[in-house]
Amino acid sequence: MEDFWIEAIELTQSVIDGLLFGSTYALIGIGFTLIFGAMHKLNMTYAAASIAGAYVGLVVFVFFSAHPLLVFAVSSLASGLIGLLVYLICFRFIPVNNHLAALMATVGALFFIDEVIIHITNASPLAFPALFGAASFDLGAVWIRGDLLFVFAASVASTAALLYVLYRTRLGLATRAVSQQNVAAQLCGIDVHRTNATTFVVAGLLGGIAGAMTAASVGVLSPLLTLPITVKGLIVTVVGGLGSIPGAIIAGLMVGAAENVFLYLRGVNERDIYVLLLLFVFLVFRPNGIFGKSINRD
Amino acid sequence: MLELKGVTKRFGGVQAVNGLDISVAENEIFGLIGPNGSGKSTTVNLICGIYPVTAGEIVFNGKNLAGLPPHKRLRAGIARTFQNIRLFPNLTVWQNLLVARNSMEDVHSQSFLARWLGETRHTRGEIESILEFSDLADKADDLASNLAFGEQRRLELARAAAAKPRLLLLDEPAAGMNREEVQDLIHRVRGLRDSGITILLVEHVMQLVMNVTDRICVINFGQKIAQGTPDEIQNHSAVQEAYFGTTAGDPD
Repeated sequence: MEDFWIEAIELTQSVIDGLLFGSTYALIGIGFTLIFGAMHKLNMTYAAASIAGAYVGLVVFVFFSAHPLLVFAVSSLASGLIGLLVYLICFRFIPVNNHLAALMATVGALFFIDEVIIHITNASPLAFPALFGAASFDLGAVWIRGDLLFVFAASVASTAALLYVLYRTRLGLATRAVSQQNVAAQLCGIDVHRTNATTFVVAGLLGGIAGAMTAASVGVLSPLLTLPITVKGLIVTVVGGLGSIPGAIIAGLMVGAAENVFLYLRGVNERDIYVLLLLFVFLVFRPNGIFGKSINRD
Repeated sequence: MLELKGVTKRFGGVQAVNGLDISVAENEIFGLIGPNGSGKSTTVNLICGIYPVTAGEIVFNGKNLAGLPPHKRLRAGIARTFQNIRLFPNLTVWQNLLVARNSMEDVHSQSFLARWLGETRHTRGEIESILEFSDLADKADDLASNLAFGEQRRLELARAAAAKPRLLLLDEPAAGMNREEVQDLIHRVRGLRDSGITILLVEHVMQLVMNVTDRICVINFGQKIAQGTPDEIQNHSAVQEAYFGTTAGDPD
């Protein structure tokens, strides 16, 4: 009986940690979904751009011993800028109807960014600063890690800021108009190219925060992070439904929690196998995601 | 105020519009009619900048529109409606109008903060009066996708009017409407003209074309075959042959 309680508590602890860390997956998922909403195309470079942004943040840390908060801010800005470049290179001048060309361009850019990082860092992982790494909150049986709580709080704040821009400002209204009916949006006076570019920058800002958070939670920044974050981002986007922001938030938390439960039950070697199976389960049984609806455009 | 001079559009080997000359006068309601596939919708798309012209030029208020992207043409004063309704489905009726209203010059000259925060009292007043004119006041907070067909058509027209255009292009606004709805539309189109807007009307529904237009241009195979007042056009032999003879029974 005592064993059962210990297991239940440890499982609860796993779920709590997973939900907190899952908030970074939610951010990445929102980024994928925002860009999909605007372009109706996947941007496979997104997670790599997020990690690249974190590397730029790390430069500020290593050479100027900047405060971790500033490191996060620089990561975010750098990732936003990279997002703009990705838009210009992989989307802006490629014909709208050529979905495959844009997809391949972003896959190419993903590998390109990875190669650049590997070249510059000699593929060795670098220590990344964390905030509140030593703090923890004791809730009796379970406890909450300070760094994860910070990650969660920052993700919530970023998401809230995004939702504010999207639903309460003129820029957000234009973005939603473009994603729903881009021909009519142009003829309502909206510069579609500029709006799309802005969407990439905004998604990049979120991605940079997520990239820096991931590095802070893991403790190191490594080019090996791009693949798992890309995969998790895609899973979250599929589970949440392409184009759905609430879906991405819920799915991000779900995938974070599920990942930790699999880790607890089956160990670190098998964890990702089950997480990936989630992708196929959803693609087969709920291809439109948990909410079954995406932003549409004719 | 709008002049098409030798406007030509080719899609690959297909000659959609061929050397078309049209001149629309200030505050006129000008009809553009012709059988299916005659190049009417292409002409509208050329004027609002969805496609570039292959040859010829389009002059609006003395300015050649060549190279001007669609969103700048709206700001120059050209708005349009779509034959197949193109509303923003997941925005409310109010927001659909706000998107169009936000493109106006006076909005662009506002301070950054005012633009960021969005609608002003002035804008709100204008949108309310457009809602009133369009009989959509009680639907302001409904999603566009939840409106009935007739209401969606009215919202298309209202959204184009919200941009306060000088020239309004109406692409088959009566498509799918019954007689009463067309009658209602006739009043709205006249109302828009009386507010100072010039209108280019592309239409199949004769009840509308013959009742509201000042002049009509008939095109077939991308070329002008006749032009004149509604009465002249109705009695024109080439028009009878090309248009009424072949599609008289077609309500579209």
